[in-house]
Amino acid sequence: MYNILVVDDDREIVGAIEIYLKKEGYNIIKAYNGNEALEKVKENEIHLIILDIMMPEKDGLATLEELRKDKSIPVILLSAKSEDYDKIGGLNQGADDYITKPFNPLELIARVNSQIRRYVSLGAMEKKDNKQIYRTGELILDDETKKVTVDGKEVKLTATEFNILKFLLKNKGKVYSIPQIYENVWNEESYGAENIIAVHIRHIREKIEINPKEPRYLKVIWGIGYKIENIEK
Amino acid sequence: MEKLRQSSILKILCYILIPILAAILFLSIVHISYLNEYQRDGNTQTEYKQSQWFADKYFYAVLDKVGKAERSEETGQYIQLEDSKGQKYYYSEDYYSDSEICINYIIIDKETGNMYTNIKSNDYQQTMNENSSNPYYWNMVDGQIQTDINYMNQDNMKYDYTYYHEMNDTPDLIDETSKTLKDYNIYTSYNQARTEQSFDFVTTQDIYQFVTSNQKLPVFALSISLILLTIIAIYLLWAIGHKKGKEGITLDFIDELPYELVFLIFCCIIPMFWAIAVNSVTDSFNYIFVTILIISYIICYVMTAGLTITTIKRIKAKQFWKSFLTYRILRWFKNKIKKYIDEFKNKTDNTKKIFWLYWGFVLITTILLSMFVTGIAILILIAFWIWAYYQLRKYVRQEEMLKETLKKIYDGDTNVHINEQELEGALKEMAIYINDIAGGFKNAIEENLKAERLKTELITNVSHDIKTPLTSIINYVDLLKKEDIKDEKIKEYIDILDVKSQRLKKLTEDLVEASKASSGNVKLNIESINIKELINQTIGEFKDRLESRNLQIETDMPKEDVRIDADNRYMFRIMENLFSNISKYAQENSRVYIDVKKTNKKVNISIKNISKDRLNISSDELMQRFVRGDKSRYTEGSGLGLSIAKSLTELQKGTFDIVIDGDLFKVVMSWGTCQIVSK
Repeated sequence: MYNILVVDDDREIVGAIEIYLKKEGYNIIKAYNGNEALEKVKENEIHLIILDIMMPEKDGLATLEELRKDKSIPVILLSAKSEDYDKIGGLNQGADDYITKPFNPLELIARVNSQIRRYVSLGAMEKKDNKQIYRTGELILDDETKKVTVDGKEVKLTATEFNILKFLLKNKGKVYSIPQIYENVWNEESYGAENIIAVHIRHIREKIEINPKEPRYLKVIWGIGYKIENIEK
Repeated sequence: MEKLRQSSILKILCYILIPILAAILFLSIVHISYLNEYQRDGNTQTEYKQSQWFADKYFYAVLDKVGKAERSEETGQYIQLEDSKGQKYYYSEDYYSDSEICINYIIIDKETGNMYTNIKSNDYQQTMNENSSNPYYWNMVDGQIQTDINYMNQDNMKYDYTYYHEMNDTPDLIDETSKTLKDYNIYTSYNQARTEQSFDFVTTQDIYQFVTSNQKLPVFALSISLILLTIIAIYLLWAIGHKKGKEGITLDFIDELPYELVFLIFCCIIPMFWAIAVNSVTDSFNYIFVTILIISYIICYVMTAGLTITTIKRIKAKQFWKSFLTYRILRWFKNKIKKYIDEFKNKTDNTKKIFWLYWGFVLITTILLSMFVTGIAILILIAFWIWAYYQLRKYVRQEEMLKETLKKIYDGDTNVHINEQELEGALKEMAIYINDIAGGFKNAIEENLKAERLKTELITNVSHDIKTPLTSIINYVDLLKKEDIKDEKIKEYIDILDVKSQRLKKLTEDLVEASKASSGNVKLNIESINIKELINQTIGEFKDRLESRNLQIETDMPKEDVRIDADNRYMFRIMENLFSNISKYAQENSRVYIDVKKTNKKVNISIKNISKDRLNISSDELMQRFVRGDKSRYTEGSGLGLSIAKSLTELQKGTFDIVIDGDLFKVVMSWGTCQIVSK
């Protein structure tokens, strides 16, 4: 039973989140402003915080700043502010994820699960020093067993999808255009079947990403190509 | 005094007196000149017959007779007679001559011995001897002159003996025979009886007597007439033009005519009558001729007087020059020129400058060219030409600079400034104005941008405020959906709430984006984008949705990469919006055509599809915010898609156009080709 602290001045939103997460088997602790949240953190053992930014008294960012002084609890920011610089600012402040309002409940749950898994099993997953394993962040591809796991959860990929992901993961951080991917995966020149690759990559994204439109691992650089983000952890 | 001035009678009297006085004046002058002539003799009191005048005429008579004798055979005037002593002679009853004086003569040709005479005599020897006893005789025997007439003796005789021939133009004599008076023996005497019958002679003699005996008269007459004429002239000059009962100068019809015309008429008439008058003077006294003469003189006088009067009137009325036709013509020209000059003065400095520069150039060139073509002149001319070219070039360059600046402003770059100190004249002024305008534009644009930014901020803030309650709505609707509800009606209501709340979410997001895109309030991260890759990626993203409506994508793209400079995320946003529209609004089971064309400088992308609904709307309206193909359509989407796509395209320096042709919906985008060197 993991304790999740939900902080928002909007009681209804806190209530709705409580309903969703309780169904997932989490224990919910509620707070309605920053100060209250910090108190709750002191009083209880908290495994994850969902933190609203715009709040009275003490806003989310100030709360986060204070929290990060001595705690490394995963924090998911939840805000109506959807600008890039809001997200970047929040993540730089020490947040682990950023969800914009209005959010998709399923996405919220997925992200919460992901953060909890990572937080709880951090260090538990021993790093096999196997050359057949490719990873970035919590995305792990095992070429031997042909298994792909994200945040410890297995993902089912087709053979083509697996090959594409393997190629990109092998060369993580580098951008490859569709023809390059085609040539490297199929070992032959591409003949106008470019959008097939694009479709495969979308499918991979849908499977490994919580929100395929805002991918963490398999990034799309529009008009240029695709790459796997290199996340050292 | 004024009465005197306006008196018509006095003026008429003056006009009558003038010719009389003028005649007196003329005669006095003639008189004096005669006296002058005669005074050379130093003896003006002598008899007429001893005067030089008489001597002249006598000699003329002699010459006349000798001439006749010489031409006797041609003329046949003489008849041959014989005297008592058997002396043969040629006789003619010939007394008169062109001269006023009648003489008796005997002329003997020394060569032939022929004798010519106008005296009938029985003894010529005696007659010849008697000749000398007559008062006033003149003989020439063997070249020796015998006479009792002063001025005709050997000492005083100053005439050449051939004088007569030359005077009377008888070339025969001169050329063929060349005879002179010395070839004859001549005996002549004055025939008083005959002479005194001649009117001319009497008159001449009387005039002579009068002239010589009244030496003081002409001086007196001259003085009186001169004084009177002066008085009359002064009076007339003073009085002319003044009429009874009228102030100032009265101008008549004649005075209004152009002066040249009047002058020309008078100048034609006066000499004509003058010529008639002069030609009427003949030897014989004839009343008709006298009448003509007098009338001519009168006409001449009247004409001259008229001309003088009108001239004086015009001068006095200060109308003299103005009455000239030439003056009027010149004044017309002057007015024209003045008008032109006035217009010129009102012209701008620049026009004036051009005028002076151009005509100065022409003038100086002409002067230099018309100078002797010396080396120095050519050098100066070349230097001048170079200078003129330099000036012209400078001007054109400055103008070019202004044009460039204006073009910048026109293209939207208001961050321009011309250093007006580098310019001159009108261009300098223009530069100042342009700077002002640019500054004004800049301010206006900045104001506008500021306003747009504020608007965007406002929209963003409002959207934040909307999003929080919307989050609750969406979440609780979602929770409701998960409840086990039996009532179908409630389920249906919940579905509606779900769709609407989702749409509201999309709308708020798009609203912010549209606002930012249209205000240009976005940060662009420009890099080299491969359009082919982008389109393939986009197709990949939408493949499932397109296939679900059975839409077939037909692409026509060049084999090589097609690159433009753009921000990849916004490029995808544009494509996403367009594909989203296609997947929503395209006719099911139809084809979608995507063409990419690359020319030297442009990349054109066109996307065509068949609309499932009738497009009852103009393309401009379509691109405006919140407008969708069918105004009354009831589907998801905010209606901001095309507007955002257009704004984002334009932000990235592309063009975005929509063409609607029946049910064909076509988007045409174009960008300049890539300038960034691809990695």
